[in-house]
Amino acid sequence: MDRIDTEQPAQEQSAEDRIPTWGRVLFVIGLLFLFLVGIKALETGIKAFGSEFTDNLFASVSNPIAGLFVGTLATVLVQSSSVTTATIVGLVGAGSLPLDLAVPMIMGANIGTTVTNTLASLGFLRRTKEFRLAFAGATMHDFFNLLAVAVMLPLELATGFLTKLAERAADIMSTLGWGGFGESNSPIKSAVKAPVKLLEGILESSGASDNVVGVAMLVFGLVLIFFALAYVTRNMRLVVAGRIERSINAVLMKGGGFSAIAIGIVITIMVQSSSITTSVLVPMIAAGVVTLRSAFPITLGANIGTTVTAMLASLASDSQEGLVIGLVHFFFNTLAVAVLYSIPILRPVPPMLAERLAALAEVRKSIVIVYVVGLFIVVPIIGVLLLQ
Amino acid sequence: MVMDFFKGGSDKPLEEIESLIVQMLQDDRHTFDLAINALLGGTGATVVAKEVRKSDKRVNRAEREVRRRLIVHAAVAGERVDLTRVLIAMSIVKDAERIGDQCKNIWDLADAGIDFSAAEDLKWLMSMRDQTSRYVAESSRIYQERDRDAAHALIAEMDEAQDRFDECVMAQLESTKEASEAVARALLCRYLKRITSHLMNVLTSLVMPLERLDYYDEKKADRD
Repeated sequence: MDRIDTEQPAQEQSAEDRIPTWGRVLFVIGLLFLFLVGIKALETGIKAFGSEFTDNLFASVSNPIAGLFVGTLATVLVQSSSVTTATIVGLVGAGSLPLDLAVPMIMGANIGTTVTNTLASLGFLRRTKEFRLAFAGATMHDFFNLLAVAVMLPLELATGFLTKLAERAADIMSTLGWGGFGESNSPIKSAVKAPVKLLEGILESSGASDNVVGVAMLVFGLVLIFFALAYVTRNMRLVVAGRIERSINAVLMKGGGFSAIAIGIVITIMVQSSSITTSVLVPMIAAGVVTLRSAFPITLGANIGTTVTAMLASLASDSQEGLVIGLVHFFFNTLAVAVLYSIPILRPVPPMLAERLAALAEVRKSIVIVYVVGLFIVVPIIGVLLLQ
Repeated sequence: MVMDFFKGGSDKPLEEIESLIVQMLQDDRHTFDLAINALLGGTGATVVAKEVRKSDKRVNRAEREVRRRLIVHAAVAGERVDLTRVLIAMSIVKDAERIGDQCKNIWDLADAGIDFSAAEDLKWLMSMRDQTSRYVAESSRIYQERDRDAAHALIAEMDEAQDRFDECVMAQLESTKEASEAVARALLCRYLKRITSHLMNVLTSLVMPLERLDYYDEKKADRD
């Protein structure tokens, strides 16, 4: 035979690929610090506007249902519930967003975050059978989060049980001084404050008005939060990609259940993005490698894992209320899983609803557009306009 | 199960997948040895039946696992997936599985009552057995070690062997032996040729571009 020395062309390594794991981990630690600096800058920026401004800003969304829609819309716009919840923590920490309005916003962020994997499923639109599976796989997360809000929001509005539970837990954590949560003088808070104070000092010494300082700090904080979270996710995804594969393979070999929830939690905490966890599942579901029932608990784990971001953000917050809203996010998602997954009769409901919607979407593709645009854009906008 | 995330181990999933293919080739060799010995008189077909089936099922399961892992890998790696390696693995896992099928087909001949233990050319048949068994073992080692020089050498050797298997098949057309023996002999030679073709496909994955895989079951004149 003709001797052809053409080795299979290996994927070219970019400069980014050549960074060693320890280098990435150090980079991520630095990014997490920047993330906290971003939260602190956001808080400082909001405070610089004065209480009158923030009172007026949130007077327009004083209805909790409107808050729910604002949370959804904000998350759809930034494509990251982590950015939304971290921002909410910053606003609550600054004392400009009341807890009772922040709670439905956090719930709305949960709904908004599901748009990412739903959009990922649209990549299969031209392949009918695969699309049906992918769309069902993506929308079961939507249905779970919608059901969770339908169950938990009325209860919260009637009793405030989530807020009370989170306040109690925050008191305990503050008393124990866990990692600086709730402590106003923790080393983490001091370290985070330093660069923000420096920037604020520079701006003030330049003769800028309070409003200009406020806007600058606000923009700086938001950019930093967005940038830091995006790069944490990007780097951690590379660091733990092999482990994610190994864990998902283990779920496929041994089945789902509560262990799969734990896998979903761990993967999401590591990559700091529930959207990564849930979107990675979509092509596997489309290919028939993972069943909806096996993927479902991983998705729920992602819901719980993503709450770590808000808790992390609260490390930068001066006020204990920042920690409380972070804990509300955690208890909301954990209790929703406890109720909707642990009770056998309720467990199959989200996958079943998703399968029915996918069956309709398979026949009539226009349903997909109506569903995505309606749920994530039109309904929240109309809701905010009507309820403000 | 959650500890699977934290425990040590290779963070090179494609290498783990490729080692599964190596394991399939080792199982193929085991099945081949059992099957052809049943045909050439080493052991009875019924004695090895259970082990042949077990080994073949193991190969089939491994093929499904390789495919599943490749999809998981592609989904997790996203835009950073090494598409060439994934496509190669997807292609040669089929070769490894087909070798298992051909080995089982050889056992089917023995199970149908064909017995070459008293054949006048038993020595030649045994040399073909030893040669093919070595090809499977060597291919597995070469693929595992990515030994490109050895791959070139073995491909050339197997290419020559294919001519002899073709001659064996053609010889049965003019054979004066009983039809059952001539047909069985033609089938055996055909199976041996198919096994070497699949092995050549596996090895070409080390030395040829992706688009040139899968052409070794064609006659030399029909290849590019």
